[in-house]
Amino acid sequence: MNPSIDAPVVEEIPLLSLRGVRAAYGNIDVLHGVDLDVPKGTVVALLGPNGAGKSTTLKVACGLMAAKAGKVLVAGRDVTGVRAEELARRGLVTIPEGKGVFPNLTVRENLIVATYGGQKLADIEEVAYGRFPRLKERRQQVAGTMSGGEQQMLAMARGLASNPAILLLDELSMGLAPLVVEELYGVVAQIAQSGISILVIEQFARTVLGVADIAAIMLNGRVRAIGSPDEIEEELSSAYLGG
Amino acid sequence: MNEQPDRVAEFTAEIESMKLKAGGAEGEKRLLLLGVLAVGAGIVLAVIGGVQVVNAETLMDQQAYLATGAFLGIALMVAGAALFVRYSLARYLRFWMVRLVFESRANADRIVDAIERASGPR
Ligand SMILES: Nc1ncnc2c1ncn2[C@@H]1O[C@H](COP(=O)(O)OP(=O)(O)OP(=O)(O)O)[C@@H](O)[C@H]1O
Ligand SMILES: [Mg+2]
Repeated sequence: MNPSIDAPVVEEIPLLSLRGVRAAYGNIDVLHGVDLDVPKGTVVALLGPNGAGKSTTLKVACGLMAAKAGKVLVAGRDVTGVRAEELARRGLVTIPEGKGVFPNLTVRENLIVATYGGQKLADIEEVAYGRFPRLKERRQQVAGTMSGGEQQMLAMARGLASNPAILLLDELSMGLAPLVVEELYGVVAQIAQSGISILVIEQFARTVLGVADIAAIMLNGRVRAIGSPDEIEEELSSAYLGG
Repeated sequence: MNEQPDRVAEFTAEIESMKLKAGGAEGEKRLLLLGVLAVGAGIVLAVIGGVQVVNAETLMDQQAYLATGAFLGIALMVAGAALFVRYSLARYLRFWMVRLVFESRANADRIVDAIERASGPR
């Protein structure tokens, strides 16, 4: 289980992998043995209906929630039980469901908060405005008054500020118009091209599948199918979308 | 942005070099308990010291008992109480902070919402 550091095999170790992860809220079991790998430099899409346990999987993966059983491996190392901040500081960055921004601060102030990790504001702004030119126009606007899509962009910009190696995204598309979602996924694709591994969680599949390298379907706390986006798309239309 | 292979190597190295403690909260609990024990021991020492001082015949004896019993006991109590407060507050404040952040966020959302509604449909 514990590969040596200097072995060339390092190339094959997934950056993030869950092994038989079980998790519960109180005594209600939500995850019943989840296995999932995010290999280096890939985009993995985890799809599933409401309450399937997608967000819970993400919380366990980033260390926010402790697994009841099973393991979380990051870069081949067992990090089960390591605190989320520890992992985040090293490059496992999560952008949670909903608005991951401070609504009462301006765009720029939100980016200032991101300097907490030790980066320079100028660098953060460069990356943020480079990826999302629209944020530049709105840098003095209070974040809470921006459109949902713009807020999501800001949340992503803040995530990128900490120079992630792995990015975990929970329901980017929540409450957004299809056009905006497409724009966001365009950026996700760009980010992936720069070599960052990404795990995206979505309920509705279409847009993500265009960006993903690997897709998985989650149902009732288990990964039911995993494969190429095409295979999963077929599976989806025959299975839970009922058409 | 294109030094990403390095970033992955760097990340792997950092994860590799990470010190894994068996749960930070565990040590906290131990120090909390130590604090409680120190306070207990301090009280016992102080009481014993007090009794000895009362029963001592000479001023010299009284002073000696004061030093070993009362003062040491009080010092232990203070140190123990400090430990206790430090580690029980740490836990409490952590939750409290999260709660505050969460509430101020919810509040800001509400205000933004109200302003938007008040300014009419756009
Ligand atoms: N904090 C919590 N306390 C108790 N139960 C919870 C909590 N969070 C989630 N659950 C339950 O765990 C199950 C899985 O939730 P989870 O949020 O992982 O689903 P999801 O797949 O992300 O769904 P969605 O697409 O709606 O976000 C649900 O049945 C939910 O009710
Ligand atoms: Mg969710």
